[in-house]
Amino acid sequence: MMADKDFEAGLGGLDEGPAASATDPETPFGEAGDAADHPTVAALHERFGAAILHHGVVAGDEHVVHIQPERNAEILRWLKEDPGQRYLYLSDVTAVDFGGGRPLEVVYQLWSMELKRQIRLKAQLPLAALEIDSAVPIWQAANWLEREVFDLFGITFRGHPDLRRIMMPDNYAEGHPLRKDFPLRGRFSRAEQTRRALSMEVEDYYTPEELGIAGDKHRHGQEAGA
Amino acid sequence: MGLERGSALPVAPTGAPSFITSKLDFLVNWARRNSMWPMPFGTACCAIEMMASAATKYDIARFGMERMSFSPRQADVLICAGRVPYKMASPLRRIWDQMPQPKWCISMGACASSGGVFDAYSMVQGIDTIIPVDVYVPGCPPRPEGLIYGLLMLQEKIKGESLSNAAIREEDPLRVGRPNLPPETIEELALPFGNSTLQNRTSGLVSTSLVARPDDRKE
Repeated sequence: MMADKDFEAGLGGLDEGPAASATDPETPFGEAGDAADHPTVAALHERFGAAILHHGVVAGDEHVVHIQPERNAEILRWLKEDPGQRYLYLSDVTAVDFGGGRPLEVVYQLWSMELKRQIRLKAQLPLAALEIDSAVPIWQAANWLEREVFDLFGITFRGHPDLRRIMMPDNYAEGHPLRKDFPLRGRFSRAEQTRRALSMEVEDYYTPEELGIAGDKHRHGQEAGA
Repeated sequence: MGLERGSALPVAPTGAPSFITSKLDFLVNWARRNSMWPMPFGTACCAIEMMASAATKYDIARFGMERMSFSPRQADVLICAGRVPYKMASPLRRIWDQMPQPKWCISMGACASSGGVFDAYSMVQGIDTIIPVDVYVPGCPPRPEGLIYGLLMLQEKIKGESLSNAAIREEDPLRVGRPNLPPETIEELALPFGNSTLQNRTSGLVSTSLVARPDDRKE
């Protein structure tokens, strides 16, 4: 009957969500890299000093820089606008949850096409304060990417012009699915999930502006001003 | 002509179809089963095979599926090809409700039929929780031959329908936009292997008893 026990354990595991990733307390960010390998990393150290917490190299030649979350907007803007960096292309904003109460990591993947360089920035946010400055004023591309992170991880981006769910329905009430404590099959029963899914209208997915059914007075900016 | 309403036809008081009704059934079923226009609801890789079925090599037009009907108003058979997330459940149900009777539904592939490998928070565990399904086509994805076999099976099913049985074409307006199954059944389907076991049981083709399939069930 060993197989039955494994089956039971597997079913229980599905409801508990994945286990936390292991970490070495000696080197929480991984091994340190050589800043001389990447001109941007050296420049970051020189200009921002204490805001640069760690630098590492993964997968051979991918440079990862851990920064203080409080200064992310300042650092990102400098990386884009400094003539020596010119990271004009924000290729991705995402997040990582390692589970076990560890902080969530916001990840920025930048690409400088002019100087043919890539760099990855990471900022750790404690679970109690999941807030970081938005990158939308710097790159428009961050708009939907940050909405996705907000939707799936529950991280709030300060200063985002339109921070709402993008993948899950607007009235989704089960939480943020990519968090480690989220059960694989969701928090509600299948019957309740089906009932809710069918009771939704297009207005639950799109704003009146997107549907093209709103008059001028319903637009976001004027509503706030009136 | 009143052909669509069973009550308008000469039916013997006992309820048994008369000679004429049976001939009408034959005519109507012949017309219906040989001119089924599919409503393609393709959401994933199964849709690629569905397109291949409609293209020259397999060409389901040979069997009466003359053209894909991209408006549900002119469609007869909804082919749900691919996985359906909960966000698509409402559009799927709405499309089904927009199709006029007579209408049928084919659930193509493992994901549409039972959720497939996607036993996750976002995925509908079988579209029969949303809309009634006539034919399930297994496979991941099924080959075009599989879909065509399913369509031919549906034609066989239509052969057995009768106008005197108006109940099979009746729709309760209160059920529009509601789940197709009661909550308890949906819960049962959501168990591991739940939906495939239930489909096997209702088909009567495969034994689902504990003795026959001990590994499938969690008791």
